[in-house]
Amino acid sequence: MLLELKGVTIPTFDQKCNIVNNISFSVKEKSIHSIIGPNGSGKSTLAYSIMGLPTYKISKGQILFDGQDITNMNITERAKLGITLAWQEPARIDGLTVFKYVSLGIKDKSNQKENVIKALKTVNLEPERYLNRYIDETLSGGERKRIELAATIAMKPRLIILDEPTAGLDLIVIEDFLNIFNRIKELNMTILLITHREDIGMVSDYATLLWRGDEIITSTFPEVMIRYCAKAGLKEYCKRTVFQGEKTGCFDSDYIDRIFREEESK
Amino acid sequence: MSNIEYPKEILKSLEEYNINIKDFLPGHGKGAKLLLDFNKIKGMEEIEGVILKGKEIQNGIIADIIIKEGVKLEDPVHLCFGVNKETGVQEIFPRIIAEDNSEVTIQAHCSFPNATGLIHKMYSHFYIGKNCKFNYTETHYHGEKSGAIVAPVAQIYIGENSIFENNFTLTRGTVGKVKILLDIYAMKDSTIRSTVKAFGRTKNDSVRIRDSIFLEGENARSVLKMKAAAQNGGEVLMYGVTEGNAPKCNGHVECNEIVLGRGSICRARPFIRATDPEASVSHEASLGRFPQKWLDELKAKGLTEEEAIQILIEAMLGE
Ligand SMILES: Nc1ncnc2c1ncn2[C@@H]1O[C@H](COP(=O)(O)OP(=O)(O)OP(=O)(O)O)[C@@H](O)[C@H]1O
Ligand SMILES: [Mg+2]
Repeated sequence: MLLELKGVTIPTFDQKCNIVNNISFSVKEKSIHSIIGPNGSGKSTLAYSIMGLPTYKISKGQILFDGQDITNMNITERAKLGITLAWQEPARIDGLTVFKYVSLGIKDKSNQKENVIKALKTVNLEPERYLNRYIDETLSGGERKRIELAATIAMKPRLIILDEPTAGLDLIVIEDFLNIFNRIKELNMTILLITHREDIGMVSDYATLLWRGDEIITSTFPEVMIRYCAKAGLKEYCKRTVFQGEKTGCFDSDYIDRIFREEESK
Repeated sequence: MSNIEYPKEILKSLEEYNINIKDFLPGHGKGAKLLLDFNKIKGMEEIEGVILKGKEIQNGIIADIIIKEGVKLEDPVHLCFGVNKETGVQEIFPRIIAEDNSEVTIQAHCSFPNATGLIHKMYSHFYIGKNCKFNYTETHYHGEKSGAIVAPVAQIYIGENSIFENNFTLTRGTVGKVKILLDIYAMKDSTIRSTVKAFGRTKNDSVRIRDSIFLEGENARSVLKMKAAAQNGGEVLMYGVTEGNAPKCNGHVECNEIVLGRGSICRARPFIRATDPEASVSHEASLGRFPQKWLDELKAKGLTEEEAIQILIEAMLGE
């Protein structure tokens, strides 16, 4: 297992209450693993905590990366081990060029330019048009997110945490992003994909459902989606989307009804 | 004067600012040029439409640089005030005149790579006529020993409908003691863009800059940007003044400052004033540290906090 969370609890910075409680799941190397859950369920909090942000320190539990306990490591140390995070809203910084930004995490300085160009191509940006631009307000939201992806890919990390990589993007672009995720997977990187959209989650091999800070289930994506729908009381929606998908043919209507009954009886 | 000897250390410091030194020496590039080595005129090259006059005086020179009426220069005029001595006094009295309808870029370099107690003073007058495009870039390199004392004063007159751009950069190496006073008078329909950047790296570095823009003519416009960073006890004080003294004039002052480490002092402060009821003058300022989120994002790419801060300073002060 590449990443293991064991009973992870994350309190608010003032320690008054817990944002997520007792979470345990594992992420398999070279897989796409989604974390899904409604707004405010603690997805970003979990992402920041895995990255090692000091304001999201865990109060209980343990985080292992490739078998090594990283619970007490800082962001830089974790990044050097091969963990990185693409933020939900990446920063806009005047004066920092796309070239400089994408090259920041490249360890091998000898063929930096080549690697930057390769990374930009992987996210479908024409290098010549972007290399000398600044990562400031003049980039569109979609461009900024692609550049963030390129910067993380260029690092050649082992685990990329993507926090809502498709938020604010239109449908045509989302399709392109799904292809990019598969390309990242082909580069032998593992993706922890945070999303609350089922059409995005479909690319994932496994998923974990968070609900108000609690972990409900970790399983295959369709299985997790049925639980999500049952929690939210969205039976019709569930049958329309999850049940009909080709990928999910294994779930019949009766199975979905049973899960919903179970949830209602709780 | 095509094969002059010019101190290598000074040329090297120019290269650091991405200046092609091949174009720089007389007889090589196309533009007009005036090169000083301490108190001696080492090279002077006029071209069609540009008059250069220089006279050596006791501690320096008096110089006239005149761009003739209607002359539009493609290549920049280079001025280099270099000293590779450790100590001494260099005083320069330049008078720069751009006649009506002329267009020119002037690149001035003040390079003192070995300074340990070197004084450089400059008293300049600029007269820019009507309908001109005038671009003035001044880069400084003061060596690594914080041993320069640099005090330029400039009075600048910008004629009707002219565009004046001023870029001052002191971000490489140490500062030493720098005190700059700049007054710009903007006439009717003129446009002023002035950007000043300085970085005080050590406790021996002190920068004080006061730039003032007086919008004296109707419809004159100006943007003044001041970017200051100080670390390890360095001191950078910048004051950006804009006065709106004419109808429909419009001025803006933008100041950014970043303070790092104990004992550093950094101020970039706007001062605005309007005496005409139809003038509009505004300002914005940002102070203090870089946002934590920026630092976290760079750290997630494997940078340490110190490395992340250096990258952000470079971005802020970048050319
Ligand atoms: N520093 C904090 N102090 C107090 N509460 C916090 C803090 N950070 C997050 N929270 C709360 O924790 C909850 C989870 O937030 P989080 O951002 O992790 O949700 P999310 O699942 O990523 O939501 P979204 O889908 O909207 O991005 C929210 O209720 C949020 O207000
Ligand atoms: Mg979130």
